[in-house]
Amino acid sequence: MTYWWLVPLCKTLHYFSIAVLVGVVSLVDLRIFGVAKALPLRPLQRLMPWAVAAFLVSAATGYVLVRISPASSLGPPVNIAFAAKILFLVLIGLNDVLYFATGLKRQVDMVGAGESTSASAKIVAGVSIALWIGVVYWSRVLTFLAGAI
Amino acid sequence: MHLIDVLQQWSENSAFFIWLRESPSVWAYPAVFFLHTLGLIFTAGACVVVDARLLGAARQLPVAAFARYFRVIWIGVGVTLLTGIVMLGSDPATRLMNRLFPIKMLFVVAAIGLTVVLRRRVASAGVESHVSPWTRVLAVASLVSWLGAVASGKFAAYF
Repeated sequence: MTYWWLVPLCKTLHYFSIAVLVGVVSLVDLRIFGVAKALPLRPLQRLMPWAVAAFLVSAATGYVLVRISPASSLGPPVNIAFAAKILFLVLIGLNDVLYFATGLKRQVDMVGAGESTSASAKIVAGVSIALWIGVVYWSRVLTFLAGAI
Repeated sequence: MHLIDVLQQWSENSAFFIWLRESPSVWAYPAVFFLHTLGLIFTAGACVVVDARLLGAARQLPVAAFARYFRVIWIGVGVTLLTGIVMLGSDPATRLMNRLFPIKMLFVVAAIGLTVVLRRRVASAGVESHVSPWTRVLAVASLVSWLGAVASGKFAAYF
């Protein structure tokens, strides 16, 4: 590589943007579970565009990292953990589509400070948290499989 | 003998660290590394959200309501520190001698210290969600510290 700092810089931005993304998502999900109940959900869910912006940064830096050194993410020839990571991201997308399409998001918006959410909201939040933990797990496994660590 | 040599010898002869380094099991080194990553991502992310609120994002959220969330943040801090110490113990000489290691520790100590201070300020924000200019300065410092901790971890491989 021409610039030695490009890979660690992209890794830093990739890691930090995932932290912001997971930070917002897990706060909303845990609030749906009843943690920090004094937080009203409508203004809390207004933080979601920040998570979307962070996702775009992580996707862009992830793309650059794969382009610079395909073998450290995709190798050797096929990296099952990379495929699993992408699959989990697709499942997260489907879970989110379900959340909006079923009107659950609007229902959760009505949950004010100190109030509890419905069982269906808790299921969607639980699936979301489990899938995000899975994404981080596959990210670590893929570096081991690729021999990058 | 130098302290680092003592640590290195202790780690090389410790049954636990021999297992951690050499076991092909996913419950050995990969599990510790995964938990360290998960803990740091969660903790840094949660602190960034609190910092963002203190800096003016999502103003309809009562600041004091975040106080309870710090219980979960402390779990994240605990998991990250514990797994970090284990990873340090598995290869003390290489890690301690890294030129970026003291810088990373400086960021980590600052980030955790600021989290302790900001939790108290969040808890005492009252119903008006009052955020003083000095609190905002501390929130910016918190953001910079978490970013610095991640960056020095990622750049460490090059130093």
